Amino acid sequence: MDDATRDLIDRIAADAVPVRPLQRGQGLALAGLAFMVTILAVLFLLGARHGLLHDGVSVFFVLVNGLLLLLGIACILAVVTMASPRVGSNHDGPKWAMAMVGVLPAAGVFAAYRPGAGPVVDLAGAECTVMGLAASLLVAGALFAWLRKGAPVSQRLAGLYLGTAAGAMGSVAYGLSCPVDTIVHLGIWHVAPVAIAGLVGRYVVARWLRW
Amino acid sequence: MTGDDATLARLMRAAQAGDRQAYTVLLEETAKWLRRYFHRRIGPEKLDDLVQEVLISLHAKRSSYDPSRPFLPWLAAIARYRWVDHLRRDYRTRTEELSEDTATTGDAGDVVLARISLDRLLDQLPPAQAKAIELVRIEGYSITEASERSGQSKALVKVNIHRGLRKLSALIEKAN
Repeated sequence: MDDATRDLIDRIAADAVPVRPLQRGQGLALAGLAFMVTILAVLFLLGARHGLLHDGVSVFFVLVNGLLLLLGIACILAVVTMASPRVGSNHDGPKWAMAMVGVLPAAGVFAAYRPGAGPVVDLAGAECTVMGLAASLLVAGALFAWLRKGAPVSQRLAGLYLGTAAGAMGSVAYGLSCPVDTIVHLGIWHVAPVAIAGLVGRYVVARWLRW
Repeated sequence: MTGDDATLARLMRAAQAGDRQAYTVLLEETAKWLRRYFHRRIGPEKLDDLVQEVLISLHAKRSSYDPSRPFLPWLAAIARYRWVDHLRRDYRTRTEELSEDTATTGDAGDVVLARISLDRLLDQLPPAQAKAIELVRIEGYSITEASERSGQSKALVKVNIHRGLRKLSALIEKAN
């Protein structure tokens, strides 16, 4: 061993203070807490949509938000795992969930061109996208802080999953206050935050995950 | 001291708890393991720098090691990350020919394992990209020399290096 490496080892070892290993459960709890706080904030600030607790929601509401919730959970699990790298880890699971959610906007566009459907582009829809993005910030912050503590070695993928998770959870949280139940509205405007946040994560946030 | 995974994992757990002696032994064994791991996958004059970079990364990110899991897959992920990072850097100085006297004195089984690990990473690239990276970034040939040796145009060598390194960075956690 050369002298420089020897010296380095001595210097590093001298700094052998105890550290608390990253626990996967803590990362999941952090993301879960951020999601719960977001839901409470949405309900407190915007109020619950009509019929939320009394069986007054459509099947599209359950379908779209259920798929978004599953996508968000899959991405959160992947992001939390990516903070502790390991050769042999596979992070492909969320890609299948993304593909499934990708069917929703296609269904929304398909439905929009059927006779009697409302307009595809409307101000309320754009507002839902903006609010969904705003509601994603807390989960995004929690996952970003977790990844910064860890050692993600695939930053682009980690950024993509971080953004997708935050967008999906934010959209679900905001969806609790949105009264519109059509597949055109939910499939397009409530999925848009997921795509936007995913792209921001992949192309912007990923740069700040380097170490 | 043998650098088997169980021993290294035990040392790492002790190091996370603040045991300085265990940490010193761990770092020494890790440095030896890394030298074998990077053998022939980096210019000899760059080897010590790369080993030191990984040791610093290990120290900075030691909380990311999950004590319930094996140690070497975690270390290998960090080592691959730093290796790809190292290959990315634009160094133009021609490296010396890789020579036999850099051969490791370590355990032959470990050497095979380590070579398979980094070789397998390169194997996942299209052959033209892997060849361009090996010639220019590992063996130190110029773009012109690499073009002559590989039969690729100079522009293609550059493109293959760029695309190959980008792909490598996405494959770091792929198993052997």
